[in-house]
Amino acid sequence: MKTLIAIPAYNEEASIGAVIADLAGHHPLHQVIVVDDGSKDATSQIARDAGVRVIRHAVNLGVGAAMGTAFRFASRNGYDALVQLDADGQHRPEFLADLLAGVGTADIIVGSRFAAGGNFESTWARRNVQRVIAWTVSAYARTKLTDVTSGFRVSGPRAIELFSQHYPVEYLGDTVESIVLASKQGLTVREVPVIMNERAGGLPSQSIFRATLYTGRILLILVLAGFRSAPPSIAAMKKRAKRESAK
Amino acid sequence: MSPQILAIILSVAMLIFVLVLLRFYFLPEKYAVIWLVAAIVAIILSAFPAILDAISGFFGISQPINLLFVAGFFVVLLLLMQLSLELARTRDELRRVVQSLAVDLEENTHRDE
Repeated sequence: MKTLIAIPAYNEEASIGAVIADLAGHHPLHQVIVVDDGSKDATSQIARDAGVRVIRHAVNLGVGAAMGTAFRFASRNGYDALVQLDADGQHRPEFLADLLAGVGTADIIVGSRFAAGGNFESTWARRNVQRVIAWTVSAYARTKLTDVTSGFRVSGPRAIELFSQHYPVEYLGDTVESIVLASKQGLTVREVPVIMNERAGGLPSQSIFRATLYTGRILLILVLAGFRSAPPSIAAMKKRAKRESAK
Repeated sequence: MSPQILAIILSVAMLIFVLVLLRFYFLPEKYAVIWLVAAIVAIILSAFPAILDAISGFFGISQPINLLFVAGFFVVLLLLMQLSLELARTRDELRRVVQSLAVDLEENTHRDE
């Protein structure tokens, strides 16, 4: 199985070197790609010097767009699986094998911090909001998912084909929306338990105001995702496939 | 037909139009909220014009319709401002993309020689 590890990175010069060094013992570095999303620091240079391939966006487009680029790259180069790994050192490469073992049993395998029974060390309100989000996404995916915002995940061949055509770009909603989108296109999702490190930087939603905004946006995305039809690029892809099978 | 019914029909049509644009991915999430809110406010105000009367009374505006014009004009002005800012940002990004593409192309041709 040809597996690509994709690391979306934006201004991560402090951690990217260590992340790649950590990864080196677990995966061949020529099958690792850093998608530098228009960093203004030395992220690209450090990654290149560490021996991995680098794609650089000329402008900052957001993590969803960076993953879209990674999926395009994977599809064009014939990869069978794509692992998303964060550049901040949160995801531990020793769980790669656990994630990859699931390819073939489902199209997307999500590494979950809470699958083994752990829980958020957080306020009551936040815990329950996360629970509502997890329930909603689980309903779309028709399977129990406990950590839907986890970026540590593997996409199999069918998911690579789908996401190379369209990957959600909405800021901080891409992890959730991609699961809903894939589920609606008939792909299967599963989760496996993983342990994650503490984030090097802060959580994206520190203040109450930003947390509320973030939650509101995720809920809006979830409602919209259910109401929306397939994105035009995916509808076109399905039409092509249908025409070809008819021949 | 009373003008109120016409107003309700128009604002419901606007909501449906926004929803259709959203459904087929013509309108991104980022702009969806403002248009959904605008459509819903239009429906509420046309269905219950008393709300407009009450607010006008509070501000001491004798003709409620004037409040609607002022508020509507203000919202449109804000939307235009947002569009200007977006356009400026997009132009800036386009310039950077073209420049970096030009540099990359030059580097590639140079390598071939």
